[in-house]
Amino acid sequence: MTGSTHTYNTPASRRAPRRTTPERSGAGKARAKREGWAAFWFLLPDSLGLLIFVFIPMIMAIVLGFFRLDGFGNLSFIGGANYVRMVQDPQFLQSAAVTAIYLVILVPAVFIVSLLLALLVQQRIPFVGAIRSALFAPYVISLVVVGLMWQFLLSDKVGVINQFLAAFGIHGISWLGDPKYTLGTVVVISIWFQMGYYMIIFLSGLQDIPGELYESARIDGATAWQRFWNITWPMLRPTALFVLITVTIAVITGGFDLIYILTGGGPAGSTSLLIFYIYQQAFLYGEYGYAAAIGSVLVLVLLIWSAFMFRITKGGRVDDE
Amino acid sequence: MTSDSVATGRTMDRSAPVGDTGAGQDARWRRLRKGDKKWTKKTTILFIVGVIIALIAIFPLVYMVLSSFKPEAEVYGESFLPKHWTFQNFIYVFTEVPFARYMLNSFLVSAIVTVVALFFHSMAAYALARLKFKGRETVFLIIFSTLLVSLPVVLIPEFVVVKTLGMLDSYWGLIVPSIFSAFGIFLLRQFYMGLPDELEEAALIDGAGYWRIYWSVVLPLSRPILAALAVFFFLANWNSFIWPLTITSNPDLRVVQVGISTFHQQYASSESYIIAASTVAAIPTLLLFFFFQKQITESIKTSGFK
Amino acid sequence: MERTFTRRTLITGAAATATMAGLGALSGCASGASGASAPLQFWQFYAPQSQSAPDLKAQNDWFQKAVGDWNKRHKQQVENVFIPNFTDPSNTRLATAFASGSGPDIFLISPGDFLRYYNGGALLDLAPYMTKEAIDDFNPNVLETRRVGKGIYGLPMEVEPLAMFYSVPAWEKAHLSEGDIPKTWDQMLDVAHKLTTQSQSGLVFETVPGYFQNFTWYPWMWQGHGDVVDSHQKPSFDSKAVTQALDLFGRSVATGVAPRTDPAAGDVPGAFANGYAAMWQSGIWQVAGFRGTQPKFDYGVFPLPTPPGGISKTVLGGWAWCVNARGRNPEAAAKFVVETVGSMSQESITRIYDWCTVAKSDMPPRASVDKMMVAKDAFKNPKLKYFHDVILPTGRGEPRYPPVVYKAISDAIQQVQAAGGNAAGQAQKGQAAIEAFMETYKGGALK
Repeated sequence: MTGSTHTYNTPASRRAPRRTTPERSGAGKARAKREGWAAFWFLLPDSLGLLIFVFIPMIMAIVLGFFRLDGFGNLSFIGGANYVRMVQDPQFLQSAAVTAIYLVILVPAVFIVSLLLALLVQQRIPFVGAIRSALFAPYVISLVVVGLMWQFLLSDKVGVINQFLAAFGIHGISWLGDPKYTLGTVVVISIWFQMGYYMIIFLSGLQDIPGELYESARIDGATAWQRFWNITWPMLRPTALFVLITVTIAVITGGFDLIYILTGGGPAGSTSLLIFYIYQQAFLYGEYGYAAAIGSVLVLVLLIWSAFMFRITKGGRVDDE
Repeated sequence: MTSDSVATGRTMDRSAPVGDTGAGQDARWRRLRKGDKKWTKKTTILFIVGVIIALIAIFPLVYMVLSSFKPEAEVYGESFLPKHWTFQNFIYVFTEVPFARYMLNSFLVSAIVTVVALFFHSMAAYALARLKFKGRETVFLIIFSTLLVSLPVVLIPEFVVVKTLGMLDSYWGLIVPSIFSAFGIFLLRQFYMGLPDELEEAALIDGAGYWRIYWSVVLPLSRPILAALAVFFFLANWNSFIWPLTITSNPDLRVVQVGISTFHQQYASSESYIIAASTVAAIPTLLLFFFFQKQITESIKTSGFK
Repeated sequence: MERTFTRRTLITGAAATATMAGLGALSGCASGASGASAPLQFWQFYAPQSQSAPDLKAQNDWFQKAVGDWNKRHKQQVENVFIPNFTDPSNTRLATAFASGSGPDIFLISPGDFLRYYNGGALLDLAPYMTKEAIDDFNPNVLETRRVGKGIYGLPMEVEPLAMFYSVPAWEKAHLSEGDIPKTWDQMLDVAHKLTTQSQSGLVFETVPGYFQNFTWYPWMWQGHGDVVDSHQKPSFDSKAVTQALDLFGRSVATGVAPRTDPAAGDVPGAFANGYAAMWQSGIWQVAGFRGTQPKFDYGVFPLPTPPGGISKTVLGGWAWCVNARGRNPEAAAKFVVETVGSMSQESITRIYDWCTVAKSDMPPRASVDKMMVAKDAFKNPKLKYFHDVILPTGRGEPRYPPVVYKAISDAIQQVQAAGGNAAGQAQKGQAAIEAFMETYKGGALK
């Protein structure tokens, strides 16, 4: 690519520059007002709905973190006691550690796997449509059934997977019963489940990159890796941001069903993710205040992470890179 | 280089003229696609890799479907294929419990939520992406923050809200709260931000209102991304379990995932019925994906997802 | 262009209106009776449901009849509400309803959950509605865990003892005979070792953490004369009895005779029939289970073996009827519960008899029902007779512990069984956790 004057990765070169700030003439002001009102009406239904059904419950939950609430409506204000309890609670600390490990492994894994798959099914290979469908199929099944299926397959001694391994002389591995393996097993199942979904999202981002860019690069003699690194990767950045944030949120706040069916949070707490721990505290022990406090911690972590990601990519708007 | 993000095969004559590089590129892709399914060394290797991964992806599913044809005694058996093929499980599922009704409920809820949500979200995303107003980014961040909550924590507050509004144990309670989620707004906003400015310019000069622009310019362009979201939303609602379980008691309102759980008894789950029921439950969503697949993957390439 | 626009708007407008109208019609399907004259709701997991498997149908009919009999005679009606997933410990429906003040008027609870409900003020004292004769009629082993002081806060409808089940074909294949049936822990592990093969687990203890696993572990502790708290409510978890009971679970996994996960996802008849397990600690409900799914399978039952110097002990489970103290008409609800399952009337006694013999195969919670069952030859099934004569007398009711105590015990079991932790160390750790909790605990007594 040396000597080439083409810049492949500037979105600015693909789009007309955005309209500069409107002139503060009378017409401009009226127009701005009209725009403001239009925006208001467009945003109204969703904002109202989100306010009532998500935002208010969310605020209630955060406030609840400063109370003690049992399962029967007995409410009492305890200030920051829940948070103090959290840092001294070995089960919380274990769940936090498990979640952190889970996160650090799973997010990059899903990201890379789904990106690679998207690159794969974008190629002109035979039966690509069928392959694509097969890759998306796992996502279509409810998590409860996914858990059931994998429980079958991974049964100790007699499950299909273990029988397959026995043919190679590998015996006695308990994928869901041995704390050494359980988290890894859950990670693999999670990747299997989600890879098709994010593959589709990456695919849409990939399909959008104009072919001429690749053509010109090919003419210039760029290798596949160079094409990827200099064209695909930069143009994919907004999609990548979206996927990164969404996967992180999904990993931290989802997956409860899977854990519950597969391992019940065990064995020995090895798959007790924070979301599972919150669930236990709330619905098994009736400690809603404590559960809410832990939930608030999660919200904070996600908020900081997202804000950081947004800052790096300038709010997701790439029009002024 | 001009913008090609709106190069589609669709009627774009209404919008401001953009370069026809897009149309040309499109044709070129089409030509390539038709003629180029060659089994070159590269494509063969990729094909094999693809097939292997596809098989891994689909293997548990196939196993589940095959197991649903096994009689109860064989469910934990070691053989992959059923020794005695039987439809008994499916017959049981549909005759012993009103499973068809459950599926109808799920379908009703999922379809309505999907349509309404797509409508509302595209409106909101359009405003956040393309209309200028004070505090726009703040509004977006607040909306985005609602994605960060986890279900177990908000379940009870949300239940209280729904109860206060008198929507407990009703279709309203199943449908309305499920419509509002920031995920679709987020995704659509990214999408709309990538559309060129000229889109509105011409129409505005013609004196068109924002609603007209949204309706006849932006929405048609969104078809591919809306198709993808339609599949995702339908799926999410079809597989929803905790919320329907929590707010409905009336058996007539039972949705499919809750219906499957009724096969769980205190000490013994009739696994074969659960598997058969789950196989049936997976079919509509699989069908939807097959049907929408083309729209999602083929035409999105022409939309600006930036 | 203009025409297209208008036409499309019309179509969409019509669709939108239709949807709204549809939603409006649907909202008419909202149920939800409120007001004092509305039927009291009885939340349980048996009725109404439409499956026709004989035992499911019998259970459904029993509950409908129980409610129907009351409704015929009383103004305040009661209705059954089937709650799916009820027995799942993390049942969101029940928890959410109670937490938001719309809990059911009558409901079932398991022994393990008792203190949480009692301490939360959700349970109504039923003793004032019962006759002394009726109270005395209940087997103290099963009633005690629902009593606080002189009050009675739940009435058990059944008694489910645990025992050891074994597969006769597996036994014979390993050249074992009736004389080999283990009576001590060491014998049990020894026999398990002989029965363990490539695909078969010799001995199965529950592995999934939860109230149920604790439930299966308690008798092993009691056998060594141990307990979680002593008679003065002081924690006694750091003891030889506890250590050896934890160690039993740990040893069995470490030596490979017990699996790390439940074979056949917990389906005992299925596991036995397919040769995945040879011995399994489970409860009397398996009698009905075998009858339902593997009627021809030859299995046996024996009491839980004992440690050296230990006593024969097992644990008794079973759900109880409770009244929501904050329900809509607690007095009527209490009368309903007492009249249906807690009175000395022939009808009530026969009703429980029907439950334990027809709808389910369970042991009776009351002496009068026991008498009736013996008289009517309900125990002619040798397995049930065995449970009644040999196993039931050694039973103690499933204990009730607050969630923190339950968790401390569960953690100890899990650490030793699954993570190979040291039993003595885990006992100490559990003791510390329970002590810290009990220091400020002010609720109902742990039993």
